[in-house]
Amino acid sequence: IPGPLCYSLLLLVVACYRHLASCVGGCTDSLQLRDELRQTREKAQKLAMAICQHLTLHLRDKSLPEEQRKEMELLWVAFSSSLELLHLDMCKVFNMSDIFSLANTDALVQTGLQGSEVAARALSLPDLNQTQSPTLPAGLESQERSTLEQEIGQIDHMIDDMEMKVNVLRWMVEPHGPQYADPLSSTDSASLAVFSVDEEQPGHQPLCQRNKFCAVLFLFAVVLVAGFISVSMVLFSGVCF
Amino acid sequence: MTIRNAIRDHGQRYRPRMACLKKAEKVVLEMQDPKTGVKSQPQRLVITTIPHAITGEDIIAWLAGRFQIDTQEARNFGSMLVALGYIYPLQDHKRLVIKPDASLYRFQTPYFWPTQQWPVEDTDYAIYLAKRNIRKKGILELHEQEHYNRLHKWMNHKWDFIVMQAKEQYRAAKERKKPDRVVFECQERAYWVVHRPPPGTVSAMDYGLDRRIDPNTVETKTPDFYERIMIFTQQSIMRPRVKSSVSIGALVKYCATYKNHDPFLLKCLPSNPWLTDDATYWTLNMPNVEIPTKMRVERWTFSFGELLSDPRGRNDFRLFLKKEFSGENLAFWESCEDLKWGTAATMREKAEQIYKTFLARGAPRWINIDGKTMEVTVKGLKHPHRYVLDAAQTHIYMLMKKDSYGRYMKSPVFKETTKKAICPEEHKFSDNQLEQNARNRRPSLSPIILRQMEEEQKAKMAANVDITQLCRFTTPVPHLAVYSGISDFPSATASPSLPFLAHTPACPSPISVALDSTSASERRVEASEGEGEGNPAARGPVGGNVSRSRMALSLRRLLKRGCTPSTMFASLSPKCHSAAGTSSRIQPISPNQPSQAPPRRIANFFQIKVDIPPECRIYPIESEDEEEENRAASRGGVGAKEIICPWESLTPQNGTG
Repeated sequence: IPGPLCYSLLLLVVACYRHLASCVGGCTDSLQLRDELRQTREKAQKLAMAICQHLTLHLRDKSLPEEQRKEMELLWVAFSSSLELLHLDMCKVFNMSDIFSLANTDALVQTGLQGSEVAARALSLPDLNQTQSPTLPAGLESQERSTLEQEIGQIDHMIDDMEMKVNVLRWMVEPHGPQYADPLSSTDSASLAVFSVDEEQPGHQPLCQRNKFCAVLFLFAVVLVAGFISVSMVLFSGVCF
Repeated sequence: MTIRNAIRDHGQRYRPRMACLKKAEKVVLEMQDPKTGVKSQPQRLVITTIPHAITGEDIIAWLAGRFQIDTQEARNFGSMLVALGYIYPLQDHKRLVIKPDASLYRFQTPYFWPTQQWPVEDTDYAIYLAKRNIRKKGILELHEQEHYNRLHKWMNHKWDFIVMQAKEQYRAAKERKKPDRVVFECQERAYWVVHRPPPGTVSAMDYGLDRRIDPNTVETKTPDFYERIMIFTQQSIMRPRVKSSVSIGALVKYCATYKNHDPFLLKCLPSNPWLTDDATYWTLNMPNVEIPTKMRVERWTFSFGELLSDPRGRNDFRLFLKKEFSGENLAFWESCEDLKWGTAATMREKAEQIYKTFLARGAPRWINIDGKTMEVTVKGLKHPHRYVLDAAQTHIYMLMKKDSYGRYMKSPVFKETTKKAICPEEHKFSDNQLEQNARNRRPSLSPIILRQMEEEQKAKMAANVDITQLCRFTTPVPHLAVYSGISDFPSATASPSLPFLAHTPACPSPISVALDSTSASERRVEASEGEGEGNPAARGPVGGNVSRSRMALSLRRLLKRGCTPSTMFASLSPKCHSAAGTSSRIQPISPNQPSQAPPRRIANFFQIKVDIPPECRIYPIESEDEEEENRAASRGGVGAKEIICPWESLTPQNGTG
C-alpha cells in the first residue's frame, strides 16, 4: 500500500471518528452510533498498523536516500500526531461511555443534534442493519468496554513502539504546506456563512447586510429618478420646440 | 489500566483538581432531563429549526426552584455553568453569562465538557483555527491570529498534519445534515471560547499553579506513604496550641474590624471593577495618590502593620517622622526590608551600607537599639545573610509601633489627612452602560513602567529626605569641621544609653578597631566622665590625644542622643575618607594621625563653638554616596578614620576590643 494514500485515508478516518465521538453522550447517542464508532476504530487501527509497518521498515533502512528520508520523516511525524489524536478520542469515548450508559436514555444530554446520519457515510460503509434490538443487554456494553480498553492499549503500545524503534528528530522536520489552509471551494463557504449570519441574531452582520441592501436600493432609486427627469426634460424640450 | 494521557508530559505538571466540575456535571444532567429539567424550545433559524434551546430566564427559574435560592444567586450560578462551558449562549457567544431574559442557550455535548484528566490540546486548537480559516479567510480575531502564528512557529513540524486534518474534519462535517453542522460548529466555537478566552478576560478555567503530582492517580499505600502520614501527624501534635477562646476571640475581633472593608461582604465604593469593568476604584487607590480615600485612611488606624504596608500610609508616616526627627527608624526598617527581599548579589553591600548608616557608633543616622540586640546584630554582620538584621528590625518596629504610631494617630498631620480623605459616590450603572464598560476595557500600565516609577520615587526620596533630616547646615565641603548644633536635644533619658555604654567595654565593638588602640579601660574612664555631664559645651578636652578627644566627643554624643540620635553626629563619620586626603589603601591605624588633618575651620553660624578636631565632619548622605563610590573604588572599603565593618579583613593590630 503506498504510504501517502493510506495516510490520507487514516486522516479521514480520524476526522470521522472525532465527529462521531462528539455525539457520544448526546441525544443522538444510540447503539448505532456506538457500532459506527467501533467500526471506524477498527478501520483506523488497520490503516495505522499498515502505515506503521511501512514507515518503520523504511526508516530503519539506513540506505535510504536523503529526500526520501525527509519525506518519510514528515509522514512519520504526521502519523504519530494522528495516532495521538485517535488515542485521545478513544480515551474520551471510553470515559464517556462509562458515564453515559445507553440503558438510561434520559441521561443523554439534549444537545440539539437530530440526525442519525453521522459521518459514517464518509467511510462509505454499507448501511448498518437496523435489526438490533433497542434495549441493550448489559453484557454487550461491558464487552464493548473491554474491547475498547484493549484497543486503546494497542494504540498506546504502537506509539511507544514507534518512539523506541525509530528516532525521528522532530525539530528537523520541515513541513511543505502553507501556513493557512486554502478554502476548499467557495460555494461551501458561502453556504456556511449564511448560517453564521442566522445564528447571531442581534449580531452586526445582518445589520450590515441590511444597510448595504438599503444603500443599493437608494442608489437604484436615485438612478431611476435621474432617468425619469432626463426623459421628461427631453420630452418637454421636444414639446417646447 | 494502561490508558494514559496521549501527551507524553515528562514535566510533571498536573492541573489541580477542580472539584466544581463533577458537581456542575450532576446539575447539568438534572437540568437537561426532558421531563424534570429546564423546558426547551426549538430555535428558529432562517432555513431550519434546531431543537433543545433554552432561555436564560427559564434556566434561572429552574435553578432557583431546584436549590431554593433567590434569583440573583441563581443567576450567578447559571453564569458559572456557562463560564465552565456546560451551557453555551447562542447569541452573543463571547460573553459567558446568563442573561435573565429570552436569550437562548443550549447544552454542550459531553465530548466538549471540561475535564480534569485531559488538558486542552494546542494541536486541537490549531486545527480548529485552521478550519475556521478554511471557512472564511481572515475571520480570525487578533488574539486568535496571534495564537495561530505562535502555534505555527512552535508546532511547525506538525503543520502539514494540522492543515490536512483541518481539511478532513471540514469535509467530514459537510457530510452531516445542515442543522447538525450548525450545532456542531456552535459547540466547537463555544468550547474554544471557554478554553482559549481573549486576553484580559476572567476565565473560569484559571486554576493557578500546576501540581507536582497527578491528582487523579490513586496513591499506593507504600511504607513511604505511611511514613509521611506519621511525620505529618507528629508535627501536628508538636505545634503550639492556643486556647480556642483566645483564637476565636482573635478571629471575631478581626472580622469585626475588617468586615466593612471586605469587597465580598460590602459594596466597595465607587464600584467593584471586577463587576462593573470600571477602574475608578483602582485609580483612586493607587499607591502614590495625592488624596487617599476614607476607607484607606481608616485601615491605617487598625494596626501599625496596615499603616506600613500601604505605600501612601507609609509616606504619610515618613513625613510625620521627619518632623519629629526620628525618620531614621523608618529608614532603617525599610533598608532591612530591602535587604531581606533583595537579590543575593547585593546583600553584602547592602548590609555594609546599613551598618555604616545606621548601626555603627557615630553613624549619621544612628538608631537606638539596646545593647544586646546590637551585640547580636554586629556579631551576625560578620557573616551577613538575609535575615541578619531581623532582631534589630523587630526592635525598631516595636519601637515605632509603641511610640511613634500612637503619636502619629494623634498628630495634626493625620487629622489633616483624615479630613481631606475623599469618599467617592457609588456608581449606578445600567445594563447598557455595563456592556459599554466591558467593551471599553483597557490594559493597565505595564509593570515595567510601574517599576521604573517606583525606582524614581525611591531615588527622589533618598535624595530629599536626608538633607533636611541630618543637618540644617550641612555643606558638602569635606574639610570643614562641622558640628550640628541643633538645639532641640530632647531632654531624653540618658539611661537607655547608659546600659549600652556599660556593655561596650565587654562586647567587642567593631568601632574599636577604628579607634585603634584605645583600650577598654580608657573608654570606661571616659564613660564615667561623660556620664556626669549634660552640657556638650562644657566639655573640656580630654587629653591632647586626638583619638581620645574624638572618643570623648562620640561618647558624649551618645549620651545626649536619647530618642533622636539623628541630630547628633559623631566625629567618626563613616565617610571620613578625606581624612586629610589620604588615598592609600589600608592604613595602619594609629593614634597620631591628626598631623594629616587640614587646618580646622569652624563655621560661624554654628551655635556651639567647640574645639573640634578636624576629623569631625558631617556629610549629607547623597554626597557621601557619590564620594563613597570614589572611595570604594580607590580604597576597597577600608580607610583610616572610617568605621570598619566587622566582617572586613583587617590588619593584625586591630584585634582589640
